Amino acid sequence: MRFFLQRFMQLIIVVFAVTFTVSLALGAIPNAEERIIAAKGSGAINDEEKNKLLDSLNLREPAIVQYGYFVKDFVTFDWGTTFNGNQPISTSVSDGLKISLRLMIYGQLGALLIAIPVALAAAYRSGGVFDRISTTTSFGFISMPNYVLATILGLFFTVRWQWFPAISTDIGFFTSPWQHFRNFFLPTIVLALPLGATYMRLLRADLVNTLQSDFITTARAKGVSTPRILFGHALRPSLFSLVTAAAVNVGALVGGSVVVETAFNLNGLGRRTVLGIFASEFRLVQITVVVLALVYVFINFLTDILYGFLDPRVRAGRKLS
Amino acid sequence: MKVRNTSKLRTRSILGSTLAGLMVFAVACGGSDSTSTDTGAPSSEAPTETTDAIDDTSTITPGGKLVMAVEADTSSPWRPSEMVCAISCHQVIRSIYDTLMIPGVDNVPVPYLASSVEPNADYTVWRVTARSGVKFHDGTDFDAAAIVDNITRHKSALLTGTAIKDVTDISLDPADPMVAVITVARPWATFPWYLTGQVGYMASPTWLAASDTDEALRAKPVGTGPFVFADYKPQEYFKATKNPTYWNAPYPYLDEVEFIPVADSLKRRDALKAGDVDLIHTTNGEVITEFRAGVDGYSSAEITKNGETAYSLMHVTQEGSPITDSRVRCALANATDNDAVNQAVSFGVNQLANGPFSPDQVGYLEDTGFPMVQDMAKAQELIAAYKAENPGPLRISLATTNDATNLVIANYQKDWFEEAGVDEVTIDQIDQAQYIVTALLGNFQVFQWRNHGGVDLDQQYFWWHSSSSLDVGSLALNFGRIKDTKLDELLDANRASVDPAEKKQIAEDVNRLFGSECYNLWGSYTTWMLANKTAVQGLDAANFITPEGEVALEGAGIAGTFYPHTVWLQQ
Repeated sequence: MRFFLQRFMQLIIVVFAVTFTVSLALGAIPNAEERIIAAKGSGAINDEEKNKLLDSLNLREPAIVQYGYFVKDFVTFDWGTTFNGNQPISTSVSDGLKISLRLMIYGQLGALLIAIPVALAAAYRSGGVFDRISTTTSFGFISMPNYVLATILGLFFTVRWQWFPAISTDIGFFTSPWQHFRNFFLPTIVLALPLGATYMRLLRADLVNTLQSDFITTARAKGVSTPRILFGHALRPSLFSLVTAAAVNVGALVGGSVVVETAFNLNGLGRRTVLGIFASEFRLVQITVVVLALVYVFINFLTDILYGFLDPRVRAGRKLS
Repeated sequence: MKVRNTSKLRTRSILGSTLAGLMVFAVACGGSDSTSTDTGAPSSEAPTETTDAIDDTSTITPGGKLVMAVEADTSSPWRPSEMVCAISCHQVIRSIYDTLMIPGVDNVPVPYLASSVEPNADYTVWRVTARSGVKFHDGTDFDAAAIVDNITRHKSALLTGTAIKDVTDISLDPADPMVAVITVARPWATFPWYLTGQVGYMASPTWLAASDTDEALRAKPVGTGPFVFADYKPQEYFKATKNPTYWNAPYPYLDEVEFIPVADSLKRRDALKAGDVDLIHTTNGEVITEFRAGVDGYSSAEITKNGETAYSLMHVTQEGSPITDSRVRCALANATDNDAVNQAVSFGVNQLANGPFSPDQVGYLEDTGFPMVQDMAKAQELIAAYKAENPGPLRISLATTNDATNLVIANYQKDWFEEAGVDEVTIDQIDQAQYIVTALLGNFQVFQWRNHGGVDLDQQYFWWHSSSSLDVGSLALNFGRIKDTKLDELLDANRASVDPAEKKQIAEDVNRLFGSECYNLWGSYTTWMLANKTAVQGLDAANFITPEGEVALEGAGIAGTFYPHTVWLQQ
């Protein structure tokens, strides 16, 4: 419980730091008022409209008051409308988050589905032909930027063979499972391949170490089957690095899949944030940054808690400390 | 509009397409082609010319859905006085709003949603009559009160307000509720051109009033157009469905239209070839070259009229700036090798520019005096002369966007300018939104830009007239802060003139003035291409006919666009 509270307090501090910084960032932008007015469009230029807009952003208030309003607006979902699109920011964020979460979940699942079986096979015959081939291939995917992979896959699978759309549409699974699959398959693959290659290498290295442990040797001596040794004894204690990497990448995937979202014209949260920056959508950017930060710290918090369940040595260590 | 296989080389913009936001506002106020003989006054005569592009209406198969990938989404959608209307904006919103007038085939504006637009004898009062029997999509009547409401809103807006600054009064004719009376400060014979573009879009006053308090409503436009708004998600799509009671039947033919913003030209091409969309527009040299060569299953047409000019804008009156000296400006012009840029980034498809007016525009000259071939010796000589009188380092700041192509061009310019004798050229990459604000505020020296499409010189008035040249730090549409008495006189004379010969002479004089003063570094003229599946028919504006039988101008008045009214899908 003490560990839990400790981590929770750290989470609160991080959230405070992020929200406080973000709430003040708007006022720190050079020519902030002119940029906001220009972004809002020509109709908002008269003094009444201008003052109304700027007042709604509380730019002229002291820092602590700005922060107070920001937190109040954030928790009550009073996020306003986008300057450029006249769209409720809450709608924009929820639409974007929905796409990004799908990509994150599909990407993670795809990466794990690739990484775990390949790593098990490679580690079991460490140094063998399969190990060498999979290691070399994974190097290739790790070193290949997403946009290159997206371009190559797009060239063949969209333009040449027309199996998948070049610009994806956010079609819900329950609206049309087939169209949902068609529209999300390539973005998922582009995310999953490099990620899966990284996971594979981490897991393979841990598995190789684990498979040299005394308890594995004992199991082998007792005649335990290979699948049982791999899945029942070796895999779980080897997951530590993989879980850490997966957790770190969860946050990165939500906000960092900008390249994939842009390549396939999917308007996820990451792409919205980047477009928002270029379009001076300051309020939208403030909100998305906080949402992404919350997702990131919350998942990392859960991961810290999860470590204890994965590895008894961690639980023991925490008790000693 | 030239259908494929015609291979007349034209131009392509050097600027990133989304940069057009504010710049193509001139086009937004009308725009089109040619060696014009227009007076600006509305035509009441039957069309004198049709083209063989007109579809045989008996072969048209109504129905179906058209999906088009456009180059950009629109900022501040969709109230006419607020939207920052670039090419894509006009393409999209033309499905919802009608304009009071459209550019006619004879290069004169002809009435469309207005049934007539008539001036008084000295062109200081314009009577705009609303077409009777037309309803907005919300069921309310279109009448003169709607015209007054819409144009009054434009008067108080930054962009369109500047454009119609000379409008002094907009009121209802007490004797006729269908007539709006627009009074202008000075004779303005070309005023109807402004009713063919953004100022001419008519939105429902009921919806406008409701959206004053509900911002989210502003993105759900209500007009009188051929399609009714269905759904819009910024950066994702704009969808509209057929208006079954459209006042100008038999249009439209399609049941649905959808526009998807895809900023990357190559991605738009891929989306077309993958079958995701039916139609794209582009200025990309690589894509134009590919479709010129022919792609099975697709056709294409180049719009060689009404396009903008890509160029480097210069702030010519900033205190203490070397750019205020015409020797420095002309040195930069002489140092530039536009052909090298054209070959390097545009596949050689562009026609190099010698002034603001392309060959189809009034005022175009074969020789404006602007240097078209790099002359480094001349450039070095001019810089040396300037330095002799102005000792100390000569530094120039060159602004561009984050677009990679634009940076390539900027790097070429930096090398040339420094070779000419400029001691230091710094390149400032500025993000898109800030870029436009920077131009409006006048905080720059040399600035990559694209602008000046249109038919009549009057459509450039607010870009160049000193009345639009405000101090640095104030938002002004005369970005380069040109203050030239001679230019002002020419622009004012053109605004008042209805004599084609005189207007042509004035426009040519303006062109020569730009050539001699080197106010801008001209680059190339823009060519737009529409590429589509062969099943898509009826894109040519010549298919679009008003109730009075007037035929729309080729190219739809704004380069890169078409009228969605006339499009149909071959079954």
